[in-house]
Amino acid sequence: MLPSVALSLNEITIRYGEVIAVDHLSLNVERGEIFGLLGPNGSGKSSMLAAAAGVLTPIEGTVSVDGICRRQKPAEFASRIGLVPQELALYEELSAIENLRFFGRLYGMGRRELRSRVQFVLEHVGLLERANDLVGKLSGGMKQRINLAVALLHGPSVLLLDEPTVALDTVSRDTLFATLYRLRDEGHSIILTTHLLDEAEQWCDRIGILQRGSLVAVGKPSELTRSTLPDALMYGHLRSHLPITTIQAVQEQMPPEVELEITGRRVRLSAPTSELLGSALAILLGQGVEFVSFRTPPAGLEHLFRGESVPAVSNLRS
Amino acid sequence: MPQAWRLIWNLARKDWLLFFADRRAALLCFTVPIILASLFGLIFDRPSDSMAGTMRLKLLVVDEDKTDTTRRMIHDLNSGRAEVQVVDRATAESLMESRHYGVTLVLPHGFTSREAFSRPRVEMLYHPLSAMESQWAEGIVTEIVMKFKAREFLEPLGVEVSRIDKPLVVERHAAAFAGQQRFNSYSHSFSGMTLQYLLFWGMESGLLLLRERQSGVWRRLRSAPVPLWALLAGRAFATGTIALLQVLTTFSFGYVAFGVTITGSWLGFLLLAFAISVLASATGLLVAAIGGTEARARSVCILAILAVSMLGGLWLPTFLLPNWVQELSLSLPTTWAMRGLDGLTWQGQSLGVVWPCVLAVAGFAMLFLVLAVSRFAWSEARRKRGWAT
Repeated sequence: MLPSVALSLNEITIRYGEVIAVDHLSLNVERGEIFGLLGPNGSGKSSMLAAAAGVLTPIEGTVSVDGICRRQKPAEFASRIGLVPQELALYEELSAIENLRFFGRLYGMGRRELRSRVQFVLEHVGLLERANDLVGKLSGGMKQRINLAVALLHGPSVLLLDEPTVALDTVSRDTLFATLYRLRDEGHSIILTTHLLDEAEQWCDRIGILQRGSLVAVGKPSELTRSTLPDALMYGHLRSHLPITTIQAVQEQMPPEVELEITGRRVRLSAPTSELLGSALAILLGQGVEFVSFRTPPAGLEHLFRGESVPAVSNLRS
Repeated sequence: MPQAWRLIWNLARKDWLLFFADRRAALLCFTVPIILASLFGLIFDRPSDSMAGTMRLKLLVVDEDKTDTTRRMIHDLNSGRAEVQVVDRATAESLMESRHYGVTLVLPHGFTSREAFSRPRVEMLYHPLSAMESQWAEGIVTEIVMKFKAREFLEPLGVEVSRIDKPLVVERHAAAFAGQQRFNSYSHSFSGMTLQYLLFWGMESGLLLLRERQSGVWRRLRSAPVPLWALLAGRAFATGTIALLQVLTTFSFGYVAFGVTITGSWLGFLLLAFAISVLASATGLLVAAIGGTEARARSVCILAILAVSMLGGLWLPTFLLPNWVQELSLSLPTTWAMRGLDGLTWQGQSLGVVWPCVLAVAGFAMLFLVLAVSRFAWSEARRKRGWAT
């Protein structure tokens, strides 16, 4: 019987020279949950994930998976972890199946086991028919799914995904999360890092917010958002990239109280009142801006993310 | 298969797949050294026996004396080892300036007068880059003048001068020792270019590893239950086997197309081929271990490989280099590898003679391996502790 806690980080500290990237951080991730690690760039998300994967050794603290400590049984620990690095961690000159076979053999899998596992993971990520295609010739979303398939190949308890949706379009992102949900339901624990609030709120069972190497809040998205006063906020996804002239025209008309951020095809609007938010949206639509989707989540997490307040419900050892 | 060996085999197999994934690049890897070696061999190919008979020195002569004697001397020069053109001094200077000729012999006024001819004096003008040719010309002119002086003194005494025109007959033969062939420029160029290209292949392999270390693949590999030594051993094994294949392919082509043969010990050749293949893979690991960024590593490596190729005699024989450079070149693995290959290909040497070369190359390979692995272990330990390397 496996313990209910899949991954346990206990008081870990990571330093880069004189800079402390992660400071005495503790976290337990339950079996069969998707845990989102949220924080701005440089907050220590990737370092924490690297420590959990065994790629970085914390100067203090311990990391264990299924109760197995990395320092005591490194090989057994490694076989229970599946890492999906932020960059594509595949050989683009080889086919998907060649990549899978290579990485599978590193985990000591025999020929028969490897054949069935390769088939299983390719089916799982929906790319069985593209097995013999060169990775370099697959689309970005397909590459990311093969990236995930490699991490799943040896049947790890814990999957670690570093910014898995970077450079993915909406359809690929939805496909990826559908796969992650299936994996969660099969009992895998999934920890992913992201700096996109809406993504974390929408997809994760629990969220941890990192600021300057410390976890400032851990909980379900609904718990965290209740903890602070909301203001008016909207996330949108554009049909296409906006020309610079349109962006300039929108910015000229926008009331000074409204904050507008356009990153690629993502739009973030925040305003002190919902009326102002509505008029800001009208300005965008008036300039012919077309949205694929938009939504208005409660803004509590936004405050946390930006380090404006620390909520009362923060539960660092949940 | 033991677990460790299976790991290394799997890692090496991945590198072979990557190498042959781009078939054209892989083909070039084998054909480029063959093309280079063939070109070098062709350029430096000199049939040694016929060389002395066919080569004539191009020589300008300014005849300021304009006597029958000087005309006969010029005729004799032209029918011997020089190809003479008679010009005036201004034309001679102009032709030398444009590098059409390198040496001019000036026969001055009164050169053949009785007083002057007792101790004749000539002027030799030469281009600064033709000092060696001027010495050759001096020898030819001395021989002709001696002949004329002998006639002057001996003919009145009734001696048959034609008998002392050429006081000795020189028979030239390239010496051949037991089991040794005549120098074959193709043997030298195939040895040199194979070695040079192996170093480039080692560099390429190292740069691939350097790129891999900076990518997500390395993080994935380091999170897998694979020790660092297995990753390095897999890479070294793959690089070494491809290097060995390159040596065998290049020499096979040399044998079929240009008659490059192993006249010495076959065992010695195989041992040396193995040692230089290990040297190539060790060079690759060293490049990956200390390379820093890929662009920096590439620039430094190209410079280093070209330097050790030239100093090690891979392009031209080392005896053409200054003495101090020849002594310095003994500290390079390329010098020993080249000596060994020359010895085993056209010099017909036995293993007993070339073993110091094999041992020296293997020693350098081991040294590079130890340095690379130590540096890797150190930088990976730092990286794991969070220090950027």
